[in-house]
Amino acid sequence: MVSAFKLEILLIVFAIALAGLIAMRADLTRARGGKVLAFFALFLFPSLALWTGFSEHMERATSTQFCLSCHVMADYGRSLYVDDKSYLPAAHFQNNRIPRDHACYTCHTDYTMFGTVKSKIRGVRHVLVQYFGTVPKPEDIRLYQPYNNRECLHCHAGARSYLEASEHHKTPDMLGQANANKLSCMANNCHDIVHNVADLKDATFWKERQ
Amino acid sequence: MPQELVERRSRRAGLLIALGLLIQLATLAWPHPLSFVAFLTVGCPIEAAGVLYFLYALVSPAHSKP
Repeated sequence: MVSAFKLEILLIVFAIALAGLIAMRADLTRARGGKVLAFFALFLFPSLALWTGFSEHMERATSTQFCLSCHVMADYGRSLYVDDKSYLPAAHFQNNRIPRDHACYTCHTDYTMFGTVKSKIRGVRHVLVQYFGTVPKPEDIRLYQPYNNRECLHCHAGARSYLEASEHHKTPDMLGQANANKLSCMANNCHDIVHNVADLKDATFWKERQ
Repeated sequence: MPQELVERRSRRAGLLIALGLLIQLATLAWPHPLSFVAFLTVGCPIEAAGVLYFLYALVSPAHSKP
């Protein structure tokens, strides 16, 4: 079975060959068939190749490996392996509550109409800061805005473990407030231990059994 | 000569597109965040410029003259 990636590569190679043919034999465009060939070679295939390349790069940019490839994010990657259930990202990562190969993106994208686009724009900005700007210390990295419960509820809304947990009924309207984002899931004394990269030096780490 | 002009523009467009696609191919073979930046800032604009130049060659006034 040929993978989608190999098909993309084949398409690009084919498009290069066609564009090269027109570049070297532009006289082909004198005939009607040559004009059609030029349309395929200089418009249709390049446009298709551009779109597939763009999609492939966008898909890669959502991978955990991509996010952690910047040195400053290394501790955030380590925090996913902390052997402590109270570390929210670690508990999600180690128990497959999120796809491990897209862990960062799954929690840090906005689940709104243009959330993915906004995430990509932020990602491009992060890459540019990594190579051309001043990189902050890991412990100084902050979210642009307070974490929205909407991202948690994208998976947890309606789940029995969420609805029936006794901790979620400490006050009568606790769930209602959380659903309306008036009470943060990460409020004090709730799920308030997140990446906490400044504390990692004292942490023990989970070693995954192969 | 209109036909020669179209051929010249098609040749340039073909070269631009081939170059852009080669850069795209290189960025896809290089699993690194900089490849993403290279694709967005170099490969993509060159390729798009080639396609637009070809479309311009089709509709330019020189081409529409008898």
